[in-house]
Amino acid sequence: MVLRHLYVWPKSPERFMWTFGWPLFGLILWGLTISFLQNNSSSSFSFVTFIIGGIIFWEMVVQPQREISINFIEEMWNKNFLNIFSSPLTNGEYLTALVIIGIFKMLATIVTLTVGAIVLYQFNIFSTFGFFIPILFINLLLFGMVLGFVVNALILRFGWSIQEMAWAIVAIIQPLSCVLYPLASLPSWTQRISLMLPSTYVFEEMRRVMSSGVVDIKNIMISFLMNVVYLFLSLAFFKIMFEQARVHGRLVKLS
Amino acid sequence: MNVLQVKNLTKKFGRFTAVNDVSFSLKEGEILGLLGPNGAGKTTTIDMLLGLIKPTAGSISIFGQPFEENRSEILKQMNFSAAYVNLPWRLKVWENLYTFARLYEVDDFPQKVDRLLSEFKIKDLKDRMTDSLSSGQLTRLYLCKAFVNDPRLLLLDEPTAFLDPDVADLTRKYIVDKVKRTKSSVLFTSHNMAEITEICDRVIFLSRGKIIAQDTPAGLAKKIKFCRVRLLFIADKKKINPFLKEYQYNFSWHDQELAVELKEENVGQLLGRLSLARLKYSQITIEKPTLEDFFLEVIRSKNE
Repeated sequence: MVLRHLYVWPKSPERFMWTFGWPLFGLILWGLTISFLQNNSSSSFSFVTFIIGGIIFWEMVVQPQREISINFIEEMWNKNFLNIFSSPLTNGEYLTALVIIGIFKMLATIVTLTVGAIVLYQFNIFSTFGFFIPILFINLLLFGMVLGFVVNALILRFGWSIQEMAWAIVAIIQPLSCVLYPLASLPSWTQRISLMLPSTYVFEEMRRVMSSGVVDIKNIMISFLMNVVYLFLSLAFFKIMFEQARVHGRLVKLS
Repeated sequence: MNVLQVKNLTKKFGRFTAVNDVSFSLKEGEILGLLGPNGAGKTTTIDMLLGLIKPTAGSISIFGQPFEENRSEILKQMNFSAAYVNLPWRLKVWENLYTFARLYEVDDFPQKVDRLLSEFKIKDLKDRMTDSLSSGQLTRLYLCKAFVNDPRLLLLDEPTAFLDPDVADLTRKYIVDKVKRTKSSVLFTSHNMAEITEICDRVIFLSRGKIIAQDTPAGLAKKIKFCRVRLLFIADKKKINPFLKEYQYNFSWHDQELAVELKEENVGQLLGRLSLARLKYSQITIEKPTLEDFFLEVIRSKNE
């Protein structure tokens, strides 16, 4: 399954844009805007690095989620759904393949953005975050997987009408994850929702590393435990929706 | 030995019963036709045999093992092709076939794929993008996919729907030859009655989710008691019609050709009466009932 998606990749200009083009475009647009504001501000606080860091780390959620969901939807578009699910492939193997392709493309995006940030803004995430990168990375990756599995389960339940969620879910989650601003800047009722998202803790810690060079391990552990629980729930949700789709004949209608 | 054993299979979608208490078996080396009008439950039955739809009741046993508990192991030895299922269109022909060969854990698949492409006469398309193929070429590609793992049980849902007559003929011959050589078994649906008659050892006729008949194609055709006599007349129809009406024959005209439907044992009587009435014909054809007649009879009785 991994090879099947890698075969498609070079033949899909829009997929190249999702992996390289749009993330780089966002980095340039936001980076230049914030640089302009920074240069015309009397504050010594470095907005640019916070925003650039947020943009790069957010792709660790976006890319796995998008690959898991869009590669799933692509089988519907191709009317290949029945071939896949009537093959010996188990659901576990299928989802694992989607995660592998998601990680692969996420790494391609992160490398592109890292090089872009060094060239354009002299901002190097490796020298800024060092060995904190893996612990931030793993939590964001897990959350991206959770979102991907939830979207796929919703597609199995609601069909084509819900496919927009494959793109929209990260746009809904991003403001609540405090990617570009601290949690404290949100209204208090929104903060309660944000604290239910593992990504919020990661971005709070990302800013802490940038300002003081340390992380609060308690927050990282909360994020990790939340991710483990959400991952288990999202997989259970997918399994239940898959079985329900078999019972109601929806799996066949998706093709 | 039974490769497939279906017992009391039922599928309900809410109040609608798509498949109703269906039981049948498929032997090793047998080609079984699944026939019936639209909405009879053929595709739902196939989808249940592939695990895509969960039965409401009943059991499916394949290669002597319960299907639901051994799904992945059983599916390695099965394959499937249908007119309504495609392959990824942004992959090349070989990429698609290699992908499915890997999914079915086929050894030496590059050679296997080359051989299949040659057998279905599409080897020159190996490096072509799937979206550039014609519908006939696509159907042949889907059949290559269906045979890529040398399945012991093959489910084909209208596999020749978009093929030219010569390629459809090649495909039928390939399927029959493959079954003879490998003792594999095939469950086959088609709307082409001649095709079913040609390749199926046995036919199951479904209507409204129930099996209403199962026999050999010739056996099902024999259930129709009427045959059709075609006579070419030179004389004016107006002279012949009163004769036909007098004896209450069921007849129709196509230009100068008269078609009379009657019981096989009454053919001699018709010819005798025509002779007595001095109504001369220049050609005569007696058509025995076919599987299509049986199909049409079932549809007619369903609509009445």
